[in-house]
Amino acid sequence: MGTAVELRRILVAALSGLLFGAGLYVSQMVDPLKVLRFLDFGAIPTGGWDPSLAFVIVPAIVVMFVAVRFSRTRTAPLFDVRFHEPELKRIDARLVGGAALFGVGWGLSGICPGPAIALIAFMPANLWVYLLALFAGSWLGSLSLPGRRDKALTTA
Amino acid sequence: MDSFSPLPATLGGLLIGLAAAVLWLGNGRIAGISGIFGQLLPPTKSATWRLVFLVGLVLGALGAAYVVPGLGVGGPGGRTAELATPPASWGIPPLVWISAAGLLTGLGTRIGNGCTSGHGVCGLARLSLRSLVAVVVFFGVAIATVAVTGIV
Repeated sequence: MGTAVELRRILVAALSGLLFGAGLYVSQMVDPLKVLRFLDFGAIPTGGWDPSLAFVIVPAIVVMFVAVRFSRTRTAPLFDVRFHEPELKRIDARLVGGAALFGVGWGLSGICPGPAIALIAFMPANLWVYLLALFAGSWLGSLSLPGRRDKALTTA
Repeated sequence: MDSFSPLPATLGGLLIGLAAAVLWLGNGRIAGISGIFGQLLPPTKSATWRLVFLVGLVLGALGAAYVVPGLGVGGPGGRTAELATPPASWGIPPLVWISAAGLLTGLGTRIGNGCTSGHGVCGLARLSLRSLVAVVVFFGVAIATVAVTGIV
């Protein structure tokens, strides 16, 4: 892989990040209180529930689903030698336990990692405290992963 | 239901899906923010594109707030963004609350290999059973957490 391809990969990452950030603002998923109003299922009977989050994630999944179907007809993406598909298939205690810990953190704050980072654009008070804690938590989690396995899992 | 906004939500969702599609078809990478963020930590061979993506994420949100102002939180004419605060009767300092949320989210997404974008958007689109299990668990636990804290 030469530097020209490397440069194209960087540009693709920039474009993807810009689109993702714009989507988080337009959908208002950058608003922690709006996300919490979705998670507040107790408000369904009283009419105070905000279903917006479902209207964000479903179209996002549909677009990505079409892209994944299309990619199955190709051997490689445009600017790399292979699709870096997460290899792990096992459903185990790590997966369920990790998802549960994340669920508590998400429920306490109404922010998940994407909006947390996009919020740097609007800098709510104490965001840096959250981001430092996020980084520390991620680092702690990486300590419990054997190196080889971590590599195989890569980015999901 | 006064805050329900189906049209901006759908448009924003399409943008997020497009972002994930671009990264997948261009670079063969999963647009999972916790993974992109978590693997900035050494040792990593691919910090550059990850950093560029995350800077794009911030600038994309900022730029969109100027192009389409006043949708809610952020940008000119938008409300000031605020983090959630603990229930007053619990007597927990807000900084402790927000630190706990960040720590649990960082730890959980690392151990469980993904968050709302990696498992939620990309994993479900790949029809990954693993991701479906993760999504059901973190949505369920988050909904239960909000029911317990009552902070909405």
